[in-house]
Amino acid sequence: MTGSAARTLPYIYAFMGIVLAWQMVVVFSGAHVAILPPPLLAAKSFVELIASGELFKHIGTSLGRVLAAWTIAAVIAVPLGLMMGRSSRFERIADPVIELFRPISPLAWIPLAILWFGIGESGKIFIIFVATFFPIVLNTVAGVKGVDPVLIRAGQVLGCDDGATLFRKVILPAAMPNIVVGFRISFGTGWAAIIAAELVAAQSGLGYLIADGMEILRSDLVLVGMVVIGILGVLIDTVFRIILRAFSWT
Amino acid sequence: METQAKPVEIRDLEMVFNTSRGEQVRALQPVSLEIAPGEFVALVGPSGCGKSTLLNILAGFLTPTGGCALAGGEPITRPDIDHGMVFQDYALFPWLSVIDNVAFGLERKGIAKADRLKQAQNYLELVGLGEFAQKRPSELSGGMKQRVALARVFATDPSIIFMDEPFGALDALTRRFLQHQLLEIWQRHKKTIVFVTHSVQEAIYLANRIVVMTARPGRIKIDQEIELSYPRVYTEAKFRNYEKLIYDQLDEELAKTFDFESKGVVRD
Ligand SMILES: Nc1ncnc2c1ncn2[C@@H]1O[C@H](COP(=O)(O)OP(=O)(O)OP(=O)(O)O)[C@@H](O)[C@H]1O
Ligand SMILES: [Mg+2]
Repeated sequence: MTGSAARTLPYIYAFMGIVLAWQMVVVFSGAHVAILPPPLLAAKSFVELIASGELFKHIGTSLGRVLAAWTIAAVIAVPLGLMMGRSSRFERIADPVIELFRPISPLAWIPLAILWFGIGESGKIFIIFVATFFPIVLNTVAGVKGVDPVLIRAGQVLGCDDGATLFRKVILPAAMPNIVVGFRISFGTGWAAIIAAELVAAQSGLGYLIADGMEILRSDLVLVGMVVIGILGVLIDTVFRIILRAFSWT
Repeated sequence: METQAKPVEIRDLEMVFNTSRGEQVRALQPVSLEIAPGEFVALVGPSGCGKSTLLNILAGFLTPTGGCALAGGEPITRPDIDHGMVFQDYALFPWLSVIDNVAFGLERKGIAKADRLKQAQNYLELVGLGEFAQKRPSELSGGMKQRVALARVFATDPSIIFMDEPFGALDALTRRFLQHQLLEIWQRHKKTIVFVTHSVQEAIYLANRIVVMTARPGRIKIDQEIELSYPRVYTEAKFRNYEKLIYDQLDEELAKTFDFESKGVVRD
């Protein structure tokens, strides 16, 4: 109990510090409320959005999109990473392709996503997919290649006669902590990409809340969207860290 | 149930490594050795002379560049659960509990779960770790880890056990305890053992035959029977004589190694 309190306290202090700095900027700059509303106004909008249930709708939509994209990414990226980690010949072919695509921001995919998938759900999921795919591939490859060779030998001499058994009983479990780290990082990058994804003709979602707030000059809504993304990001990461602990052996 | 001990034959075994920089490193000169079923052979020699290389070929991890090795008359081409191996750095599976580590090979042998857990527990008790069955390897000391590794290899009841400096990193007391355990298993279950060690004393204490290798590239310098009855006593005069004999051989090789190194001849 004290442990979790000790871990959450810094976040609460950071939050209070940010709100304080925000209030001071508002007071000293005298910014117009449409440009930078005071924290209290943003809090009021936040409460209103909660009371009307609208905020939960946005959160649900965004989370659903990230979850869908992340699941698809995992289903493709884990096997790909496993193959790349095991076969250096396959890695030599696949790695340059991946390295060429990796620096391209999910934002850059927006036009093609619209052309290919239209303005429905699939285009948005595709953009988040781009953001979630690479961390999983790279961490899976690192995990497989990082397996201690002596564990592979131990597996072989303890009766893992064929490649498939060795893979299932030794390589996969040994690489698992890295793969889960990939899942964690990738959910984070996917979550950060909802803004990009929901720039594309969205009707709801936290990214939509922000984009829409900008259009109707409601910067309080923009700020609520940003704060919620930040807080939920931390919460999701915490969940992953707990999962990760189950996979760490040390 | 009891497996028959196997002979090991090594015929003109050679090993040349190609390094990533394109150089060739000769690790083994042609080595020939016949090990009878149930023998306990200790392999000693200067560091880098090719002891691990030889053991890794025998265990089926490396393919020699010349000659061949046979176990029970069959050429060794790949690792085999009947040829156990104990590694210097334990090689326990960190994601498995201690008992699951010990039961790992038993599962591969197709033994039912209840049976293999029971057998694994018995072997854990043999090495004095009965109470640690549910721990993870990371919760154990180095000596305890090596005891788990021993239990793991004993549990699969291999007819040959290869051991590469298994007790090298252990404290004197744990080492003594495990030496006793190993001798008991060897005598009771008639296994063929090839044991690499840096300790001449350990070699004489355990083995019925000591093979001294030359400095790299290794070949066999002497092949010495140890005609002492078990349990052996370090302080006995005969024990001391063997010690002197082996040390004299090793000193010759050490002198060569240092001589080479100071002249830079060792890098070929
Ligand atoms: N994969 C490899 N590639 C290149 N050279 C190697 C390789 N493995 C071993 N060698 C070289 O072969 C020689 C013998 O190595 P080996 O590990 O068998 O020695 P060792 O007798 O076990 O030494 P130690 O007592 O220090 O463990 C060394 O010079 C080593 O550098
Ligand atoms: Mg060695």
